[in-house]
Amino acid sequence: MSAYVAYINGLVKDVLARTPNVVSFGQNISTGSCLSGLTRGLPEGDGRLTVNTPNIENTQTGIGFGLMVEGVNGIFCLKQQDFLLLGIDHLVNSWNAIRSRNPQASFTVMAIVVDNGFEGPQSCLNNLPDFCSISRIPGYTISGKTDADRVIGRHLVAPGVRLIAVSQRIFRDEIIVPAGPETVVDEENEIVRYGNGDDLSVVAMNFALPQALQAMAGAKERGLEASLFTIAAAMPTRWDAIVDHVGKSGRLILLDDVKSLNRPSDRLLLDVAVRQKQARVHAVRRTADDSWAQPNADHLDINIETVFKEIGL
Amino acid sequence: MAFDISSVEPVKISGLVPFEAREVLRLRLSQMLINERYKAGDFKIPIHLAMGHEALAVAAANAMTADDRFVLSHRNLHYNLARGARVKDVIAEFLLAPEGLAGGRQGSMNLINPDMGVIYSSSILGNNFGVAAGVALARKAKGEHGVTVVVTGDGAMEEGTFYESILFSQAQHLSVIVIVENNEWSLASRIEERRRPLDIANLAHGVGARYLHLEGNDVDAYKAAFDTLREDVLREPGAVVVEAPLSTLGDWRLKTDDFPDGKFINYHAGPAPTVDLREGPLLRADNADPVHILTERYGEKIIRDMAREILAGLEESIA
Repeated sequence: MSAYVAYINGLVKDVLARTPNVVSFGQNISTGSCLSGLTRGLPEGDGRLTVNTPNIENTQTGIGFGLMVEGVNGIFCLKQQDFLLLGIDHLVNSWNAIRSRNPQASFTVMAIVVDNGFEGPQSCLNNLPDFCSISRIPGYTISGKTDADRVIGRHLVAPGVRLIAVSQRIFRDEIIVPAGPETVVDEENEIVRYGNGDDLSVVAMNFALPQALQAMAGAKERGLEASLFTIAAAMPTRWDAIVDHVGKSGRLILLDDVKSLNRPSDRLLLDVAVRQKQARVHAVRRTADDSWAQPNADHLDINIETVFKEIGL
Repeated sequence: MAFDISSVEPVKISGLVPFEAREVLRLRLSQMLINERYKAGDFKIPIHLAMGHEALAVAAANAMTADDRFVLSHRNLHYNLARGARVKDVIAEFLLAPEGLAGGRQGSMNLINPDMGVIYSSSILGNNFGVAAGVALARKAKGEHGVTVVVTGDGAMEEGTFYESILFSQAQHLSVIVIVENNEWSLASRIEERRRPLDIANLAHGVGARYLHLEGNDVDAYKAAFDTLREDVLREPGAVVVEAPLSTLGDWRLKTDDFPDGKFINYHAGPAPTVDLREGPLLRADNADPVHILTERYGEKIIRDMAREILAGLEESIA
């Protein structure tokens, strides 16, 4: 296995190698570290271009839509998700003007979420759902190998627009392969179940897969057979498989490190509260406070003892 | 003509004046017809008429070919018409009817006509610059030969993406013409009410782009300039900024208690209440009105007769 960023880079190159007519563009994507290796060595020729651009994020986002109306696939890669805020107008308004034409070209924005801490108040956004909500554009986070395989393989170049977010915190770590048999339980929302235990449901959202693995380890220590669900879609439209499983297990541990105040996990918790009233639920999530506006570790901490105590174990 | 205009309403007048001059009149009368419907309350959508802009639009639209693309702003009616849109289809679009120019799905501020190269219009100031840069980049990626024309006003060009997109077009050697329709107004603010004057030539030259100043509303001179410009920008790709001072006609004076003599209202959008089709196409007897330029050149009788003939054709087409 390889490091997270190298693995994703390999997948991106594989997709581009078999897909002509793609313009990849962004700042530093073919110079220096090539965004820490994310965009290194992208194939060219046969209609493929790699364009190293000036620092013009608003215009860059518009360029993706301009490529699209001309039938050319585009991939806009950003060093920081924060920078994409300058392109919000295009994500909302340009796409609104174009979406009714049912364009068959692809436009993907792939942004690095600077979530590794101590980068300061303007470089720690970690908020894909709000981009997706305001633009009504689907988004996906990549936490582990299966996410990477599925999101890059199925969505990097596909008709329409989507946002893909990758986590800088785990760039150099080995890409995560959760234990247990894996089953895709929802294709559209990219929900994957790992393991087949029915004693406990563990759900990882955004980039909280490492914390979810801690919860799975805690379950194992306690002799519980748990199932882990990962949701790559930033704004899932349904999660029946998860809610049904909570009905069986009676216990849910939810881990979500997103910084949105419009959290999709709120809706999952609401669904569980409505449909599985007897379930014991504990969620480990961000608490919005002023610490977000100063350099800090920016890490979602999980206290395993507390978590299991909260669900009666 | 370099692009297909078979869909344009037939104009029966003999060849007394060049095609472009007749087109100026067609655009003016088409807009006046729309204005009459607008005054009558037929349209629910906001429409930005562009009376006074016709010479520039006709020249640019006819100098460009089927290989070229137009990326427009919210005030796009004149370019859509100049690129061959029929007033019947435009009115249907403004009524949001399925038989409209864009299937009744784009309305006015986002009106497009991809078959005639009008591939994007935006109601958001400056939004079309980035899209135009992408369109031009796509043409380059596909190895296609053509110019991307992006149209803006003196208000939208204040957005940072104006500079960004020119910078990018220069860096990527894209064949882009940026037309700045400088009518001095952004909504109800004159330039001097919102910023210092901008030296657009210096701004363009500062990023290595070329600059062309067009003034006077002479459609023949404008056409010749755009013909040359198109060849230049294809031979030597990069951005060219064309600045054209003009007036958006249709202003009026609104009498109120505070302004008993009438307060000047600049035309921005909506119906132009004082513009009356029955009074003919001439709105101002000076160089701010392209129809005045035509009248000076060809004589009042020829212009009046030609206008009558064009109007009859237009009315027949929408009857």
